[in-house]
Amino acid sequence: MADEIDPDVPSAEAESAPPDAAAPESEAASTPHAVTENAPEAPAAFPQPADIGYQIKLGMFEGPLDLLLFLIKKKKIDIQDIPIAVITGEYLEYLNAKEKINLDREAEFLLMAALLIYIKSQILLPREQPVEPDIDPRKELVDRLQDYQQIKAVVGVLREREEEQAQIWRRAALTAPLPEQDLDLIEVSLFDLAESFFAMMKRKQGENLQIIQGKKLSMGDKMSEIVAVLKVRDHIDFLEYLGSHDSLEEALLAFFCLLELLKARVVVAIQEQLFHTIKVWLRKDAPPEKEQE
Amino acid sequence: MMDQLPQILEALIFISVEPLTPDKLAEVLPDAPPEEIAAALQALVAAYEDSDRAIRLVPTAGGYVFSTKPQFDPPVRRLLQIERRKKLSGQALETLSAVAYHQPVTQAEIASIRGVDSSYSLHTLLENKLIKIVGRKEAPGRPLLYKTTEKFLAHFGLNALEDLPSAEELKKLMQEENA
Repeated sequence: MADEIDPDVPSAEAESAPPDAAAPESEAASTPHAVTENAPEAPAAFPQPADIGYQIKLGMFEGPLDLLLFLIKKKKIDIQDIPIAVITGEYLEYLNAKEKINLDREAEFLLMAALLIYIKSQILLPREQPVEPDIDPRKELVDRLQDYQQIKAVVGVLREREEEQAQIWRRAALTAPLPEQDLDLIEVSLFDLAESFFAMMKRKQGENLQIIQGKKLSMGDKMSEIVAVLKVRDHIDFLEYLGSHDSLEEALLAFFCLLELLKARVVVAIQEQLFHTIKVWLRKDAPPEKEQE
Repeated sequence: MMDQLPQILEALIFISVEPLTPDKLAEVLPDAPPEEIAAALQALVAAYEDSDRAIRLVPTAGGYVFSTKPQFDPPVRRLLQIERRKKLSGQALETLSAVAYHQPVTQAEIASIRGVDSSYSLHTLLENKLIKIVGRKEAPGRPLLYKTTEKFLAHFGLNALEDLPSAEELKKLMQEENA
């Protein structure tokens, strides 16, 4: 509502703006401030349902353009050549029929009345010098009416399609086709931002991760190593040998290898006294190395 | 595995709640040439259409999704215990049409097209995710710009915005109506 005096409105709209000029002779005359009163509401993001009233109040009409189109059709008027006087009369009659004008709900209808009367005055009034004689003062209204007519045709198409679709069910539809309460889309776009932010953080995290290459250990290698050491050193001190490894994993592996070697009777382990260290020797009669692997 | 491509596609679409797009399919099936996927999809659509199954495969919102055929609406509604499906109001439809044909569009532009304030309808449409905010117009006040969503396409069974009638087609429609 009151968009036509909203400074934000594109220029096309601004041209049709001078309701003030027409106001003195229009129905709006008694309340010329009505339009301005509503102006502060317009820029608000989502004011309360101001347009919900039309369906109840002016019956079947969605707005002033709808009413105008109805009158044009009723009078079988060519939309390209609207007799402004006739249509203005008809239009005002409609508004006059109402006992009281609800400004919240019908300001737009009044605005249109003002515009019609303004156009009428443009046609009637003699001008000192013809300003842009090519331009029909009705042209802009006709363009708007045609645009609106197109929208109405689209509404018809969409309504039909919606009707068709209402009989078709998808699995997604199980989670309510048009949920009563849903997340606000403004917030969703924020969520989208947050989501992409987290996705980015995750990627970054991946970049910082450093893979520590573990030593590749195998029992076979370890056993050969132990045997090789024993061949050189005659015997090893069990505890000392295990302690010489730099990871617990490797030490454990060495321990298991020693057990394996003992089991395979390749080495012999001797503890000379209780609580003394265990010494490991290579058996003299050890079977060839390959067989244990 | 690719000689089973139609079956694979069928399985993937079956478990998808949202329409499965060719892009997503290409991502999941990197070894299948996109032309082959496209051809297999077309064959699947035709196969379902020709069969006497209650299910059809529909290209929707740029992807593919299974849906029931219209004649099975009553039993489905009984199962879901839905009397009637919620429909958009006249004003919401008008606002949505204005967005669809003039997008990206501001609230003031929509109000000018419709001749009435449309903030409430816009809000309803946003809530239902039929339209979305795509940014701000570089104009005084930097008003928000609105566009229709994929859900809009799905709601009206459209595959793409191009499926909406063109200006010429609308003119024809209007002439028929006036005649």
